Amino acid sequence: MNVWNRAASFDAHRGSLRAWLLTSVRNRCIDYLRGRGGRERQERELQPEVAYALSPADPWRDVALSLERTAVRDAMASLPAEQRQVIELAYFGGYTHAEIADMARVPLGTVKGRMRLALEKMGSYLRGRGLVDV
Amino acid sequence: MSDHEELESSVAAWVLGALDGDEAETVRSHAEGCPTCREVAAGLRRVVGALPLGVNEVGPPARLRERVLAAAVASRESPALPPAARAVIPRPKVPRPTSLARVGRRMPAYTAAAVALIALLTGIVIGDVAFHAPQSPPASQVARFTLAGHQEMAGAQATVIDLKRDGLVLVDFRGLPPPGSGRVYEVWLIPAKGNPVPAAVFVPDSNGAKVVLVNQSLDGYTVMAVTNEAGPDGSQAPTQQPQLYGNVT
Repeated sequence: MNVWNRAASFDAHRGSLRAWLLTSVRNRCIDYLRGRGGRERQERELQPEVAYALSPADPWRDVALSLERTAVRDAMASLPAEQRQVIELAYFGGYTHAEIADMARVPLGTVKGRMRLALEKMGSYLRGRGLVDV
Repeated sequence: MSDHEELESSVAAWVLGALDGDEAETVRSHAEGCPTCREVAAGLRRVVGALPLGVNEVGPPARLRERVLAAAVASRESPALPPAARAVIPRPKVPRPTSLARVGRRMPAYTAAAVALIALLTGIVIGDVAFHAPQSPPASQVARFTLAGHQEMAGAQATVIDLKRDGLVLVDFRGLPPPGSGRVYEVWLIPAKGNPVPAAVFVPDSNGAKVVLVNQSLDGYTVMAVTNEAGPDGSQAPTQQPQLYGNVT
């Protein structure tokens, strides 16, 4: 409902609707996780029904999603390990750059530089694959 | 370094959501009035928008749709809602096959709800299965250990980051050889007295690297070890002597 209610804030010039949706939901998830205690997070599990298939078999859709997924994963895999790590920890893990610098024991500026380089390389890779409009 | 250069260096962290509130606001405010930073942010933001597409998609349970529709009905009379939200919400439809580059321009509003649900669950999967985001653990609550490779895994190593307060452990593997077709690496936690406990199963990427989440505390364990086991689920007990291991106390 939050996403729906914030629909007016979507700006097509800043990116696709899908990217906006996914980013909005990801941010909500990170906010949610950051607001919970670690032990509480430990106890949460996905309900079995979540594993249900999205819809009846649709080969075209499956192929399209698979290509996109492969492109993004390949782009991630193409990064040097230290650059991939900062993206994984920041985006998927919800860590701040300061926390990452502390964990990796590198200066804050190094983390920022790795983030910038990683995103630029991924953008170049994905543009080259022609599957993502970045 | 000028203020602009300093702030521009933080743009990537900003679009990744990796800045604290005050820092994020500072960069956002600067980017609004700085064409250079605005352009950099726009380009990087498109890449960040693609990141969740690399995660496996899961379908929402039926009860979630009912909850969303119930919430929509309950809030239908709210004057704060935008016009789109006051419209009748049609049954969510699965998007037709399309390329990512075009989907945003073609997706009708009602499919957004379905995608949002998918993305919500995907996000939960990301948060609960792949990673867990702690709340700024103090340095004293973060311990680091090193695993060293031996024999056939002599070039491999791993850094273990123990997030004590969250009861979680991140293990950053480097230099692993391919596990072999149908094989996986399995992480074991070994107590001072007792049998090894399986902790995680993974396959490294083509560079021999992987960041693995061990979803449990290291309390009570003295050694972390890695063996090569049959995939995809590994074994309940190690079938070989570990060649990558280290103390975690």
